[in-house]
Amino acid sequence: MLEKLIFDTKKYWKYTKYAAKSELKSEVANSHLNWIWWVLDPILQMLVYLFIAVFAIKSTLPYFPIYIFLGLTLWNFWSGLLKASLKLLKRNKGIVSKVYLPKLTLLFIRMMVNGFKMMISFGIVLIMMLCWRVPLSWNILYMIPLMLDLFLLTFGMCAIFMHYGVFVEDLSNVIDVALKLLFYMTGIFYSIEDRMGDAMGGVLVYILIYGNPISFIIQSMRNVLLYGKGVNLWVLLFWGGAGIFMSIIGVKLIYKYENSYVKVL
Amino acid sequence: MRVDAITVKDLKIVYRSLQSRSIKKNFLRAKKSERGNFVAVKGISFSIKEGEIVGIIGKNGSGKSTLLRALANIFSPDEGSIDIHDHTISLMAIGVGFQPSLTGRENILLSGMLLGFDEKEIRSKMTEIIEFSELGDFIDVPVKNYSSGMHSKLAFSITSILETDIMLVDEVLSVGDARFKQKSEEKMRNLIGDKHRTVVIVSHSISTLSKLCDKVIWMHEGEIKMYGDTQEVLYEYLEFMGADEK
Repeated sequence: MLEKLIFDTKKYWKYTKYAAKSELKSEVANSHLNWIWWVLDPILQMLVYLFIAVFAIKSTLPYFPIYIFLGLTLWNFWSGLLKASLKLLKRNKGIVSKVYLPKLTLLFIRMMVNGFKMMISFGIVLIMMLCWRVPLSWNILYMIPLMLDLFLLTFGMCAIFMHYGVFVEDLSNVIDVALKLLFYMTGIFYSIEDRMGDAMGGVLVYILIYGNPISFIIQSMRNVLLYGKGVNLWVLLFWGGAGIFMSIIGVKLIYKYENSYVKVL
Repeated sequence: MRVDAITVKDLKIVYRSLQSRSIKKNFLRAKKSERGNFVAVKGISFSIKEGEIVGIIGKNGSGKSTLLRALANIFSPDEGSIDIHDHTISLMAIGVGFQPSLTGRENILLSGMLLGFDEKEIRSKMTEIIEFSELGDFIDVPVKNYSSGMHSKLAFSITSILETDIMLVDEVLSVGDARFKQKSEEKMRNLIGDKHRTVVIVSHSISTLSKLCDKVIWMHEGEIKMYGDTQEVLYEYLEFMGADEK
């Protein structure tokens, strides 16, 4: 299985890159503001949540705009891909029913597109950090394993969702609602610790931060980038392992049904 | 002696109980719906020699297109095997993967890579494709601004100029206006007539198969009813169809 995955990825790598580039190009082709939208979009989103957080929740966290922006950047990458993966095969029916294409290539293209947008957002985070003069520590290096966790978990979950998205017609409705709930439980524009510190004797905070991988990654990323703190290594390893496990399941599922999806689509 | 280009052994393709389900419907309907198997290709074996032109004929639902897609690796065999002996293979599919907001030139690269061709190879044939398509300066205009005729011309040019060792054709293609139609038909004849290329054509047209093919496979309800000389198979097929209609 691993051998096939490596072979397919190598063989279709150039196509993956070119298709991702084409997708990005076509996304902005109809817009007058062109690529500026990739920068404006997360900034405008941040302003909306900043408004809610400052005036409604009255948050006083240090570097709060960056805090929100970073949360949105990671959340948009993860949730955007999850939602897209459910309809990935159906959207590409025209391709998969006419030529052979490893189905995971479609996921790689999507991940590249969303990954590129996330990189732009990270560029803005960097600029904001310079403007706010955020002090840096060596803990910033934890960014690398955190990103690895994020990619593994996203890839694994998306591969599984991509498979079930073909067979369960209304799965996207259920996932839409679940993601909305998860968005508010993830603490994108508020601090889970500050808001729910005492609930259930602190157990709720523990569950909400460590039991939800995207929440763990977002809170940890904020800690290492903005507050010079470290990361809970056990949880980092646990979610990394879970990401690998889900990736194996996802790849196995996709390869098992690879040439059967077209019979259902 | 010519060697095999395609060897198919005990090929079986099943449209299994792979249906999409709905969570809502499953909740509303307590009883699960019956799910059956449909065997589209029932354990067939045959081989095609290098350079041969083989036609596939049969009535609707006989498994012709399923077989062609299985040869192109779009469908996987549920049982048995398909060996193409390290040849390159492609199903002639027009306009696959086109991005409307990209230019014709960019779409040549995109579609070519999707069909499994190397970027270098596509670039080396770029001029030929553009010339054949007769699009001129329009090649650098987004495809969404093309008329349907221009779109077909570009799509046909890509597929017909980027050649593979084995070509699979689902109905012989001819596109565009009357003049381009003639040109594309001629191109198809040249492609098919190349002695080094193995071609498998699915068609309902007796005259097309009669003109182009060395051999014909007659598929009937997922099985091979007859495989051999074009004229003999077509004669038997017509007899059978005549009797069937009566």
